Amino acid sequence: MRAYPKGLLTVAVLLLAVVLCGGVMAAENVKVGIVLPLTGAQAKFGEIEKRSFEMAAEEINAAGGIKGSKLELLFEDDTGKPDVGRAATEKLISRDKVTVLTGGYSSAVTQAATAVAQQFKVPFLVTTGSADEITEKGYDYIFRINPTSSEYFDPFETLIQKAGGIKTMALLYENTQFGQSSAKDVEGAAKSAGIQVVVKEGYQAGAIDFKPILSKVKGAKPDIIYMVSYVMDAALLMAQCKELDINPKMFAGGGAGFTLPEFQQKAAAAADLVYSATLWSEDVPYKGAKEYFNKFKKKYNSETEYHGAEAYGSMYVVADALKRAKSFSPNDIRDALAATDMMTAFGPVKFISYGKKTQQNKLPNTFVVQWQKGKMETVWPEAFAKKKYIFPTPAWKDRK
Amino acid sequence: MGILLQTIVAGLLKGGLYALIGIGMTLIMGVMGIINLAHGQMMMVAMYIAYVLNTMGVDPYFSLLVAMPTLFLLGVLIQKYLLNPLIKVDTILPENQVLMTVGIGMVLTEVIRFIFKSDYKYVTTSYSSATFFLGGISFNVPLTIAFFIALAFTAAMFWFLIKTDLGRSIRATAQDKDAATLMGINTGRITVVTMGLGAALVAAAGCLLAPVYYIFPDLGGPFTAKAFVITILGGLGSTVGAILGGITLGMAESLGATYLGMEYEDIVGLAIFVAVLLFLPGGFKRLTKV
Repeated sequence: MRAYPKGLLTVAVLLLAVVLCGGVMAAENVKVGIVLPLTGAQAKFGEIEKRSFEMAAEEINAAGGIKGSKLELLFEDDTGKPDVGRAATEKLISRDKVTVLTGGYSSAVTQAATAVAQQFKVPFLVTTGSADEITEKGYDYIFRINPTSSEYFDPFETLIQKAGGIKTMALLYENTQFGQSSAKDVEGAAKSAGIQVVVKEGYQAGAIDFKPILSKVKGAKPDIIYMVSYVMDAALLMAQCKELDINPKMFAGGGAGFTLPEFQQKAAAAADLVYSATLWSEDVPYKGAKEYFNKFKKKYNSETEYHGAEAYGSMYVVADALKRAKSFSPNDIRDALAATDMMTAFGPVKFISYGKKTQQNKLPNTFVVQWQKGKMETVWPEAFAKKKYIFPTPAWKDRK
Repeated sequence: MGILLQTIVAGLLKGGLYALIGIGMTLIMGVMGIINLAHGQMMMVAMYIAYVLNTMGVDPYFSLLVAMPTLFLLGVLIQKYLLNPLIKVDTILPENQVLMTVGIGMVLTEVIRFIFKSDYKYVTTSYSSATFFLGGISFNVPLTIAFFIALAFTAAMFWFLIKTDLGRSIRATAQDKDAATLMGINTGRITVVTMGLGAALVAAAGCLLAPVYYIFPDLGGPFTAKAFVITILGGLGSTVGAILGGITLGMAESLGATYLGMEYEDIVGLAIFVAVLLFLPGGFKRLTKV
């Protein structure tokens, strides 16, 4: 049996040689590390973004890649947990030696991941993670394509003014960093718009029964119910609002879950006439937006929405920066990213500093959509509206 | 007053379902002395069975008739071929059966993810959000039905354990395995049957939950945790305890959500868990004696 370990050793050495050669050959590729929730409760979003990243990378590679080398995407699953996201980012940086990082879905995970990237000085373009704090720390290697969550409410302010008659608000949010951060901003914006927040309640994502907080909401009779929720919580909230016969003038969702097709499919009739903030829809007047939507639908036979568009745009921004960078050193890529000024399917991208924020993209418009007869229609701002918004929402029993 | 009543009703209905989730685990814990950490994952598998049947037009309540036997079989196979062989193996860890259940839970999750992807699935029924009102208090129809079916199953389980031969053998094994073996009970077979029963009961809970909730591969974990809390609240191996434990947890979550804030839902449940461990070790079984 003595010879056996020796044989094994030879095999190991050979294997190692193969791996090393492979490594040398693969080094010609530009490695892009992407942190996304591919399993866990947020996996649906991770899937849409992953597919969009892959689609964009394929197109970029087919068009000649980056200075002759190809983009190689390395996905790591953050499972929706900050500690896992942190470890995943560390692995991408120290073991896989990625050139640049992107992705980042939930705010809590993104915050942990960007801290690691900053520490190792690897540029990180945040795709989604939208809590304001992430670009408020002065991190010079962190960029964000997604507008901050405090801006999700902006188009609602003008819509509410136009619609009129809204004086009180119930604010429901999931008890995570994204939810808390959004709720704080919306509460402030509502106050300055003269709307009184009569109920403000957080909840634990994944609950079966929302009736305890909804009973409170029903008692307070608000004019608008604003919810910051992921997809299935959003569907259950609306279904149970219908059950309890809660009739405000307006049901509004603050991004995240309310724009996914699954929301409408699960909530069915209860989803009708619900408004949602969104950053993008296939109707936006940006070049490539409609094409992206159609290509995605054709390739994967399922619908995409604003999270996918962000991922698709992010890939193009990263590719653009890599093309312009003097070398693939982190510092040069950082400088190239900072000088970004381009149009993507998601919208114009330029990283600016304003307020406490640094290297933050700002979209010219965010939108309000409304589910009408099972279809999501852009209804606000008026200039982009495809359909007239329906206001006030009729009582449940008056609907056909 | 309306809000208080509504909260109590909501807690009670949810508690009935929790009881059914917990009762299988408490049974397994009582007989085998191990925590089945794949319990929620088994429920998840049952929910996917309900989902697949639903796409063929079968009502989730009828899918009980398929999901329960299927999960019974799954439980039997797991116990017979994965858990029982471990008893004979000497290791430094005496609780390697528990570790095995963790692994089984992961495998179930990933197999389901492989087949169905991470997508959210849901069972669509005409009555998913049907409600009736009783003096201004709303009762969700599927949750109310689930509550009564859960009570019926629990009662049947109780009768089975007290009155039948097999039930007595299960209780005997739970009380003292060695003595039971000496009295001529095939304890190996009893453990297999118990695991099957536990899996079938949680399958029932899954089918009843399906119309009101949604289905995704990672759903098992939180429900395993809930079942564990219920088992500890009720006392190991106590059917009546599991009912009390389930309803206590449901009520506590509901009342906590209304009067403390819904973001504390899980904290309230776990605070009660700790309180029971401190002040009533052994759970409600100590009070009910059964």
